[in-house]
Amino acid sequence: MTSKKYILPLLALLTLAGCEKPFDQLEQDPNRPTSAPASLVFNGVVNDMYSVAGGGGWNDSQRYNQFYASNYNYYATNDYAWTTTGLNYTTLKNVVKMEEEAKKAGLPDVNAYSALGKFFRAYFFENMTRRVGDIPMTEALQGLSNATPKYNAQKDVYVQILSWLDGANTDLTSLIAKNDNNLSGDIYFGNSLSKWQKAVNTYKLRVLINLSRKESDTDLNIKSRFAEVVGNPTKFPIMASMDDNLQYVYNSQFNKYNRNPDNFGGNATRENMAATYLGTLTSLKDPRTYVVAEPATALVAAGTKPTDFAAFVGASSGEDLATMADKANKGQYSFQNRKHYYSTYTAEPYLIISYPELQFNIAEAINRGWVAGNAETYYQNGIKASWGFYGITEGANSVYFSADGGYRNVNTYTVDVNFAGYYAQPAVKYAGSSTGLTQILTQKYLAFAQNSGLEAFYNQRRTGVPTFLIGPGTGNSQRIPLRWQYPATERSYNTANNTAAVSSQYGGNDDINAQMWLLK
Amino acid sequence: MTLSFRSSPPENWIRLLIAGLLFCFGTLSALAQTITGRVTSADDQQPLPGVSILVKGSTVGTTTREDGSYSLNVNNPSGATLTFSFIGYNSQEAAVGSRSVINVALRAGTANLSEVVVTALGIKKDIRQTGVAIQTVDGNQLLKAREPNPINSLTGKVAGLTIGGSAELLGRPNISLRGNSDVLFVVDGIPITSDTWNISADDIDTYTVLKGASASALYGFRGKNGAILITTKRGTKDKRGFSVEVNTSQMFDQGFLAIPKVQDEYGPGDHGVYAFGDGKGNGLNDGDYDIWGPALNGQLIPQYDSPVMVGQSFTTKFPNGATFTSNRQPTPFLPRGKDNLSRFIQTGILSNNNIAVGTSGEKYDMRFSTSYNYQGGLVPNTKLNVVNFNITGGYTFSPKLRFDASMNYNRQFTPNFPDVSYGPNSLIYNIIAWGGADWNIDDMKQIWQPGKEGTQQIYAEYQRYNNPWFLAKNWLRGHYNNNLYGYTSLKYQLTNNLQLTAKTQLTTYNLLRTEKFPYSATTYGREEARGDYREDRRNLFDNINQVLLQYNKTISRDLTINALAGGEARVFNYNSDYASTNYLNVPGVYNFANSSNPVIANNFTADMRVLSAYYSADFTFRDFLTLTTTGRLDKLSTLPKGNNAYFYPSVALSTVISDYVKLPASLGISFLKVRASYANVKDGLTQSTIGATPGASFPLSYGDNYASSYGGPTYQNSAVYSLPLLYNNKPGAYFTNTLNNPNLKPNSTSQTELGLDIRFLNNRLALDAAYYVSNDGPRIFTLPSSEATGYTGRLVNGIMTQKKGGEISLTGKAIRSNSGFNWDVVANYSTFTERLKEVYPEGGINTIASNYFVGSSSGNRFINVGDRTDGFYSGAFVRTPDGQYINDAGGRPIANPVAQFLGYVNPKFVWGINNRFSYKNLTFSFQFDGRVGGVIGDYVRQKTFQGGRNIETIQGALGTARVNDVQGVKSYVGTGVVLTSGQLNYDVNGNVLNYGELRYGPNTTATYAQDYVARIYGQAESFLMDRSFVKLREVIIGYSLPTRLTSRFGVRQASVSLVGRNLLYFAQYKDIDLDQYLTGGISGLQTPTTRRYGINLNLTF
Repeated sequence: MTSKKYILPLLALLTLAGCEKPFDQLEQDPNRPTSAPASLVFNGVVNDMYSVAGGGGWNDSQRYNQFYASNYNYYATNDYAWTTTGLNYTTLKNVVKMEEEAKKAGLPDVNAYSALGKFFRAYFFENMTRRVGDIPMTEALQGLSNATPKYNAQKDVYVQILSWLDGANTDLTSLIAKNDNNLSGDIYFGNSLSKWQKAVNTYKLRVLINLSRKESDTDLNIKSRFAEVVGNPTKFPIMASMDDNLQYVYNSQFNKYNRNPDNFGGNATRENMAATYLGTLTSLKDPRTYVVAEPATALVAAGTKPTDFAAFVGASSGEDLATMADKANKGQYSFQNRKHYYSTYTAEPYLIISYPELQFNIAEAINRGWVAGNAETYYQNGIKASWGFYGITEGANSVYFSADGGYRNVNTYTVDVNFAGYYAQPAVKYAGSSTGLTQILTQKYLAFAQNSGLEAFYNQRRTGVPTFLIGPGTGNSQRIPLRWQYPATERSYNTANNTAAVSSQYGGNDDINAQMWLLK
Repeated sequence: MTLSFRSSPPENWIRLLIAGLLFCFGTLSALAQTITGRVTSADDQQPLPGVSILVKGSTVGTTTREDGSYSLNVNNPSGATLTFSFIGYNSQEAAVGSRSVINVALRAGTANLSEVVVTALGIKKDIRQTGVAIQTVDGNQLLKAREPNPINSLTGKVAGLTIGGSAELLGRPNISLRGNSDVLFVVDGIPITSDTWNISADDIDTYTVLKGASASALYGFRGKNGAILITTKRGTKDKRGFSVEVNTSQMFDQGFLAIPKVQDEYGPGDHGVYAFGDGKGNGLNDGDYDIWGPALNGQLIPQYDSPVMVGQSFTTKFPNGATFTSNRQPTPFLPRGKDNLSRFIQTGILSNNNIAVGTSGEKYDMRFSTSYNYQGGLVPNTKLNVVNFNITGGYTFSPKLRFDASMNYNRQFTPNFPDVSYGPNSLIYNIIAWGGADWNIDDMKQIWQPGKEGTQQIYAEYQRYNNPWFLAKNWLRGHYNNNLYGYTSLKYQLTNNLQLTAKTQLTTYNLLRTEKFPYSATTYGREEARGDYREDRRNLFDNINQVLLQYNKTISRDLTINALAGGEARVFNYNSDYASTNYLNVPGVYNFANSSNPVIANNFTADMRVLSAYYSADFTFRDFLTLTTTGRLDKLSTLPKGNNAYFYPSVALSTVISDYVKLPASLGISFLKVRASYANVKDGLTQSTIGATPGASFPLSYGDNYASSYGGPTYQNSAVYSLPLLYNNKPGAYFTNTLNNPNLKPNSTSQTELGLDIRFLNNRLALDAAYYVSNDGPRIFTLPSSEATGYTGRLVNGIMTQKKGGEISLTGKAIRSNSGFNWDVVANYSTFTERLKEVYPEGGINTIASNYFVGSSSGNRFINVGDRTDGFYSGAFVRTPDGQYINDAGGRPIANPVAQFLGYVNPKFVWGINNRFSYKNLTFSFQFDGRVGGVIGDYVRQKTFQGGRNIETIQGALGTARVNDVQGVKSYVGTGVVLTSGQLNYDVNGNVLNYGELRYGPNTTATYAQDYVARIYGQAESFLMDRSFVKLREVIIGYSLPTRLTSRFGVRQASVSLVGRNLLYFAQYKDIDLDQYLTGGISGLQTPTTRRYGINLNLTF
């Protein structure tokens, strides 16, 4: 185009606008950075962690856990009509970027971000594999260099997860020893690496307990790994109290608890307590009943004492929604405790990895004979910690139920709490062996209420405790599904590997009712 | 109206203005001659309007007015020849010589047809030599039965151009030109960045639609999808040297064309239970409610305005057993708000007033035009003002040098326009979808609760919904847009055959949108109801500088060449700010300083440059065969280095067969032309519109994220972090989920087209047909990837679709009688089908999610190579092999967990027929148009059913069951079967795998009507509707007053028209006006559309 030689100078004369930048620089986006401090990327990852853990109470996960039920078709049903699931590779990509940014900023190879990066890998890969089964791991996260990553067997994923957790612990140990203070942007532990270290090891015990059906697998060595952690608190510090919880604390301006004064009219009577949860609480005469729920108004009107456990009724998640809606409308079911959940913006923190869970996990491991110790002590600690979470104290407790169906006017009742008395009930008193195991699992279930994402579901899937209720309301031809389908993009864009994984695990049909390796 | 220029000819002040405009170029000299005259039909001596008159061998020309008169400025008159041409008439030439008045009588109908059309870059060409698809609409014909937006008026007028006119204030018309939505608008040769609200209908002489890529290839990447060229009116050639034209049109909206029908027998609540506590959930179903409550039969129920009796207690017992006790004394529950919507909505007004002054002298022509359009919305307190000022002029310095300039200033301003998208901002949402008839709209005129003026609205509910009068008066959205476009051009005749033009053109806007969200208003996520203030500011500057060399030469008797070569540099700058308070401290103070939490602010800037060179060459052989080739090279800054310069070729051939083949007279063919063309066009990484916060999330997620005209960089090929505010308002960084691609090439489209222009019976019947095959792609697209790569997608060149389509346009002069009675018909028909040809062959991928092409279709269902691209997959029910519902144990049909194919969204064809009758001074015209085929989910139907407000919920079996619902009795027994044994097992696409194992019995389980409806209307299958519709689009009755009558008042010409628009509408459900839904699987909410009536008055002084 020789003509351009003459035209362009002429055009320059006519141009109304100046050209501030060379032509070749205009392709770049001037509005967003190509690089960011590791602390900001870290902040993104820890926020993702909260979302992946269910994103707070009263979300879908907690319906699948059968802690509550929706009686309102329009917003939600109790149907387990699961299809495909989302995965967490994009978060893991950010974990990789976080590590890159930390290195770019001059941090050594082993640094706070890289150490926690190992933990995040373990956490998100476990979350994914528990949902679907085999997943790409060794060939994953390579961007364009491998657009069709092969799947790793679920067992290999777990072997790797445990190795990452060991690595994270080792790295954190050395960083803590060096008083490393490079971490920032931490919304959970105020940048305390030693708290993170406890969370990592506590989490490791969760992973191991989740593998209970594989306790004899010699590659995984679950029992000895569990024993190693419990037996060596110096090398593997674990959470020692509720102060060590990895939890999301709500605030009234920017991060409100999912149930608060803003959505009272939208949700309060459209969600009632589920029988699986509330029925267990009342059968044990558990004082947590009074904190999380309110008596059914119809029963109170008919003369039942508001603090009588008989006044607290949850609906079966399997109940046909038309029936549940009608009964809830007539006040025949218990709703969530309105003062506790609706009178503030902060309600209760959201537990992601918690001390009570840890206590029950250790109790379970002892019960299973993985580690020596007194299961009952851990079992009791777990219950007490959970009671503490709900503010239940020994002796007289004030409990609050709505006086008029709202959250502003409440009636105060005093109930007497006596742990010893509670514990003395045969259903509660640790009985050891398989009954004891069920008791531990039941109490763990109760401690998971409205917390920790799908942990309650996964424990139930693994152990059958508690019995989930089914019916027309739960759909799926009266089955509780065992997994999600792989994302449609895997089927369409990683076809050969996905097909191979589905056929090796599930006989060729990516079915939500099929059983993964973990459960066999 | 009186206008006079008695004292002196207006030349002086015009000169002053011109001088101002042209920076004082010397004195005016006289070498030109104004020719005036009148063109009539030789057959009946009736005036012929629209005859094109051209100075032979130049592009100087004009067309005749309504009365057949014309005037034309001719340089070097002594040697000039005028060519008069008109469809259906023989062309005629007249040498000017010393004449100043030339009257011509054209003789109808021989094979010699001559017609001029505007082609790309504004170059006028003889239709005989045009090898591409072009259709022209006369602007004056669209001035009578007005639309607020000029482009809406093109509905049904052009084959292949589908306009989805939006009835909303500031609603951008949805455009589909051969299935492409992103169409370039060009005004007088200036490509403008516009949502078309800144074009004044009164200034438009003609609309020319360049339908295919080959027609608009010269515009480069912006013309990829065709273009709509708008030619504005020029200065008058009136022999007095000036003319004044006044056009005024007043229209009113009256009567609904499309409005959902609702029931008034049941009030708010759930399963027949409702009691007002505080409207926020403290009663029974008194917050965020549905309309499934008690019957509005006078029963006593505590309501929002029931008296509160301190110290007393009232218990209400509902038929189903529920009870409610409070100190609110129950009052009769009655349908007080039966016609709330119609009592609330006002008569819309559309008022257009234009005055245009044209003037011309020996060496100049000028036109000034000012329009003021006022639109009063249906929703109270909403309006839109559009002021347009246009000045266009030209000055001929010498026979060789001419200067032209035009400037259009447009300001759109309104202190309040409605937000009609689904949500608590919408009146349909508040009154129809989720509001009952239990409250009276007139009672809501008292907006504030006594003692809480300015802080607390009064309403029947306080959780989710808002008092419509409060919304209309206090939740205010302002829109202030200053728009400017214009050009200056200097033309120099270098030699007889060579002309050089330098042109600089500009389009720019600055926009301010404000939103005042008052205390006590609620919407999703803003339940604290403490108000907000938000500002959206955008500035666009787009400048093109162009040099054009034109060459015309008759080489020999057999060959004529018309060629041009040009180069241009385009500079584009855009920047925007968006800021929002996060709740207010002090009610009613809409200022960022009053923000309770830190202000949320975003800004965005984008620069782009395009350097281009192009040519076009027409070779005409013996006047019957023309070969046109064009080529354009663009260097576009949005694309990666190395791939940012690319070439668009086009070639077109046209031949007038009737010129050299003797067609049998019995066929009655008077003209036959065939044409063929091919073009390849490209573009990349620009987008036609832009939102408030590009690359970031929309703050607080409520309110309309306005899409304004843009055309600049997308920056999607950048590997960047986004920085959203996370925990405690602190930012986090997320790396992109879409991998960039440094080797990205531009999008490519190749279009091949065949066309036929055949005219019969002395050109009285003309048929223009086109068939095209458009291969769209490979395009730039985000190929979804295995998420395991760490990225959800990567930018690649892929996806090829093939569109095959056709258009037929039929123009007939059905009757031409000597008595003066004429009947003209124009009919348009168009159709196309698009199929997926490839996705990403490099990666062996040949499938893509259905929602890539169809909005709201399922992302879990994929279409494969060979499939139509417009398949709609959405919610459906599981059925037995013989098609019955399979119900669950509760007696409700089981929804398939996976979306199913429900139909195709594109119409089979689009059509329009316009009839125009005239008899002497009277004209009568009407137009029907519509679309046939396709499906759409009727969102209004879904929501009114789910909410229990749809009239059909009280009719038939549902209505019977509703009576029982309220009593607490389940009585609705749905059709279909129930499983007696077996469990449903599906594959990943929702196909039942084990029909063989299933055993069925009839469903006998009764349920509540409410719950049955909830299940059924949760799936799109149930609210799917046929997308076909027919509209009586416009009716115009016009009368031109006799000149002898008007001249007494100093008026040279006057016409008055009675007009109506959108008078009749036929569709399966009339909840929504299908007009505006050209794409997508599911409709939105919209303001009801109405019929519009009015009067138009046109005066020329």
